[in-house]
Amino acid sequence: MSVRKAWAAGAAVAAVATLALTGCTTSTAPTNGGDKGGDGEASVLTIWQNSTTGPGQAYWRDATAAFTEEHPEVTFKIEDIQNEQMDGKLQTAVQSKDMPDIFMARGGGKLADVVKAGLVKDLTDLVSDDVMADYGDAPFAAFSVEGKIYGVPTAVLPGGVFYSKDLFEQAGITETPTTIDELNDAVAKLKDAGIDPIAVGAKDAWPAAHWYYWFALRSCDKDTLLDIATTKDFSDPCWLDAAEQLEEFIGTEPFNKGFLTTPAQSVANSSAGLIANHKAAMEVMGGWDVGVIADLTPDKKPLPDLGWFPFPAVDGGKGDPAAMMGGVDGFSCSVDSPSSCEDFLNFIASPEWQGKYATAYSSLPASAEAQKAVEGDVEKTFLAAYQESPYMSMWLDTLLGQNIGTALNDGVVKMFAGDGSAQAVIDDVSKAAERD
Amino acid sequence: MSLETSLAITPVNKRTRKPKEYVKWGSPGVYLAAIILVTVCITPVLYVIIGGFRDNAQFTTDPAGFPNPWNPANYINVLTGSNFWPALINSVVVGLGTALGTVALGLMASYVMARYNFTGKTQMYSLFAAGLMFPATVAITPLYIMVRALGLTNTHIGLILPQIAFALPTTIIILVPFLKAIPMELEEAAAIDGTGRLGFFFRMVLPLSLPGVITTGILAFVGSWNGYLLPLFLLGSDKYTLPLAVQNAATSQYASDAAMILAYTSLSMLPALIFFSLFERRIVGGLTGAVKG
Amino acid sequence: MSTTQTAPAAGRIDPAGQRETPRPVARRRRIDWRKNGEIALLSGPAILIFLTFVIFPVFLAAFYGFFKWDGIGALEWNGLQNYVWILEDPEFREAVGHNFGIVIASIVLQGPLAILFALVMNQKIKGRSFIRIMIFVPYVISEVVVGLAWSMLMQDTGAINQLFGLDISWLSDPNIAFWSLMIIITWKYIGFAVILMLAGMQSIPEELYEAAAIDGASFWKMQWSITLPLLGPTIRIWAFLSIIGSLQLFDLVFIVWGRIAPSAGVHTMAFYMYTEGHLSGEYGFGSAVAVLLFLISLIVGLVYQRFVLRRDIDGALTDAPAKDAK
Repeated sequence: MSVRKAWAAGAAVAAVATLALTGCTTSTAPTNGGDKGGDGEASVLTIWQNSTTGPGQAYWRDATAAFTEEHPEVTFKIEDIQNEQMDGKLQTAVQSKDMPDIFMARGGGKLADVVKAGLVKDLTDLVSDDVMADYGDAPFAAFSVEGKIYGVPTAVLPGGVFYSKDLFEQAGITETPTTIDELNDAVAKLKDAGIDPIAVGAKDAWPAAHWYYWFALRSCDKDTLLDIATTKDFSDPCWLDAAEQLEEFIGTEPFNKGFLTTPAQSVANSSAGLIANHKAAMEVMGGWDVGVIADLTPDKKPLPDLGWFPFPAVDGGKGDPAAMMGGVDGFSCSVDSPSSCEDFLNFIASPEWQGKYATAYSSLPASAEAQKAVEGDVEKTFLAAYQESPYMSMWLDTLLGQNIGTALNDGVVKMFAGDGSAQAVIDDVSKAAERD
Repeated sequence: MSLETSLAITPVNKRTRKPKEYVKWGSPGVYLAAIILVTVCITPVLYVIIGGFRDNAQFTTDPAGFPNPWNPANYINVLTGSNFWPALINSVVVGLGTALGTVALGLMASYVMARYNFTGKTQMYSLFAAGLMFPATVAITPLYIMVRALGLTNTHIGLILPQIAFALPTTIIILVPFLKAIPMELEEAAAIDGTGRLGFFFRMVLPLSLPGVITTGILAFVGSWNGYLLPLFLLGSDKYTLPLAVQNAATSQYASDAAMILAYTSLSMLPALIFFSLFERRIVGGLTGAVKG
Repeated sequence: MSTTQTAPAAGRIDPAGQRETPRPVARRRRIDWRKNGEIALLSGPAILIFLTFVIFPVFLAAFYGFFKWDGIGALEWNGLQNYVWILEDPEFREAVGHNFGIVIASIVLQGPLAILFALVMNQKIKGRSFIRIMIFVPYVISEVVVGLAWSMLMQDTGAINQLFGLDISWLSDPNIAFWSLMIIITWKYIGFAVILMLAGMQSIPEELYEAAAIDGASFWKMQWSITLPLLGPTIRIWAFLSIIGSLQLFDLVFIVWGRIAPSAGVHTMAFYMYTEGHLSGEYGFGSAVAVLLFLISLIVGLVYQRFVLRRDIDGALTDAPAKDAK
């Protein structure tokens, strides 16, 4: 056989093999899902969770041990997957249709995609009544797709502005800003006192983008904002208005030195690290920041003078100044998981274990009962704001889905770097929306 | 003639090596250049190693400073922690397997392409060279599916084989010219002696191409040692190699402990460096005087 | 002894005691079997593994380039649209420009430096092992750590600015960022170049230097006339690997610059592939970028093979016959 024919034959084989392989990925025994058992039969549940050290990791060991005590036929296999790697591994699991029984989910577009692939268990009727009563509807909203529930929340992480009370005092700021103008004044006072006013981790894109999300939340009315995931239409002037106001704000140069190459939270010179070491006064962040900052202080304890105030109201904004934005963490069951899966999720949704989760993860529990037990001062501040808010949106990039979300984040970053205008942000996002 | 030639080109081994060269001091200029070079190369590395003795806050307040106080806690934590040593062993196993496999397979294939003449030779070379040009990051998902279909996920061999495959192009590109450089006369002499091509391969080619072999072996080992993407997708956390274990040990849910990472990576560097320093002499010492006329 | 008119049959010894007349056809067939067997035996394992774990996944990934795919749901046929979008995007074209800038700068900066250092390292002076190990250290460290260390050093508030009392935005200033990248790349990969050059120098026989020394040539004259020319094949191979590596650069850029890379003017094609593909959940798009990256590398590789490596390898990527066919 001549060489050329050999290549042609080889290509044909490859093509056939491709089709065959994409078709039969389920032919080998799944490795991620555990052993299936019926009710009362022995089963092994695999859990993919995102805490690889410390109290978070210990929480899962404790919770699973406690559950096994009550239900001896159920045992667990826990995979600790580092937060940044979780998405990638989950995706591979989805593509090879080899899901773990219990996995971390954040709701929004990503969860909807996995649901569409038919790999997530519908929990609408499987969540216990106690849990539903305790949580209320709000936390489940993030995990609902077309009216059905696909996950159980474990933490709510509302956002706002974290600040150092000591540094504010040093600069002579007596009241936390409630409007952007007041924020500008505060910035000026801090600069006069020789303090970097605002830390932002623009290197990771999303911390800078959060500024835009908040401006948009304040500028756009409730429906325009909450529906954007379905309409994907940015023609409402509020979107451009938000971008322009942000552009103006950036022009006052309120950020820390070298903010463009500052990461958000992973290393000592991150924006969280700056706050932790009193090198900057404020940071716009989500509820997890308390724990992150605590890790980066010199004595690794929570920052004693840390405070929180809601994002200020924006000029001419149609959004409610008390509206909140944040993330919701939770866990879902794979469609093949045994019934012990939802039993376990209901188990950890109890106020007792919710309280333990909140402590371990330094976050707000989703359970209203457990929320009553929240202790930290800072946490109580934003918990109150969360409970009183008229409505809450997810982070815009989670809401919009990966494609548009990433385009939005990148566009805002360019604006921060002085490399693009407000209009360019809207254009980029619209272009990405077209392609969706 | 044949016998004399065979003797004359006996590969260099310990028994026939020249007496050790007198190693003298070089000129000051050379040492000055060397010092500058070494300083530039080492300083960032020292930053990493010494950084391991600090804690996170120190970095923010004083980026360029020395540890104050010197805090060995990170290094001690890593060495006594439960995930460093297993990860180290995993990395060693996978690294050695990859290096040996790459060298063995690469050398054999390079030999074929360098010294045989057959239709399809250029296509074979093109095949390997072309594989170098496709970024591995995109092929990762189909690769995972392939490995899973073979039932090799979360095994050492399941990681070693793809790593060998990805290391082959560089290996072949480096080795082929090395092998081509061996003169035909040696091969003809061997043929007349009746050893045939395979015998020639084992008795002459291997020793003569040793510098190239060692080089590619080192490259393959180092590549495997630092590999991050493939182990991430193909291994479960009980078999994590060092680059992955770093993340797990030092990174909590949202933040990571920079100083711990620096300590961890300093310790991870050591085996690769040791491997290199063991073999780097052989790169130089192999060939002098071996090939005459 | 009778004279016969017929040629002696193959293999048979002529009555006159002459050696057998070889029958060409039989001899060639025997050699072919053995030779093909050896070829298969020696190259088989490598080819098998390569096809399974590289070529096949690569074809599959390239196949995805014609689709729109979010990694989870179904594949949506998109024809050549992905490719059109990519080629229309100014950010991609900028990336291509950056890549080629890195290609040229890498060769120009690393090549002469590496040869120089290899010459120094090749001398039998005391401490040379130690020096060699030190130079190779940057290459041994993983890119993640290199990126981490250099980003901490080059931050606006980082160690370099602090030590030298400077106020330079090494990373975010678009005028400087590219050169900062080249500093990091050179630092990391010079060891690789030096080690290749060193290995190449080992093939140069001592006798040549001894003869030149007897003739009274100076050290530098010897290097210029003997080492450099004979190092030619090694240099060409190193340059080839350097070019391909430069075209595929991703890790260092992403770890040091993060998502600021485009604004800093240092993003590469692979970076674009990662942000527009993986991060955006557009795997079809990402695969299309990968295919383009591959094609560009392939063309560069072909051109390089044809014009530069011709004499070293038998016209490997082209079908041109070798000048000195073995």
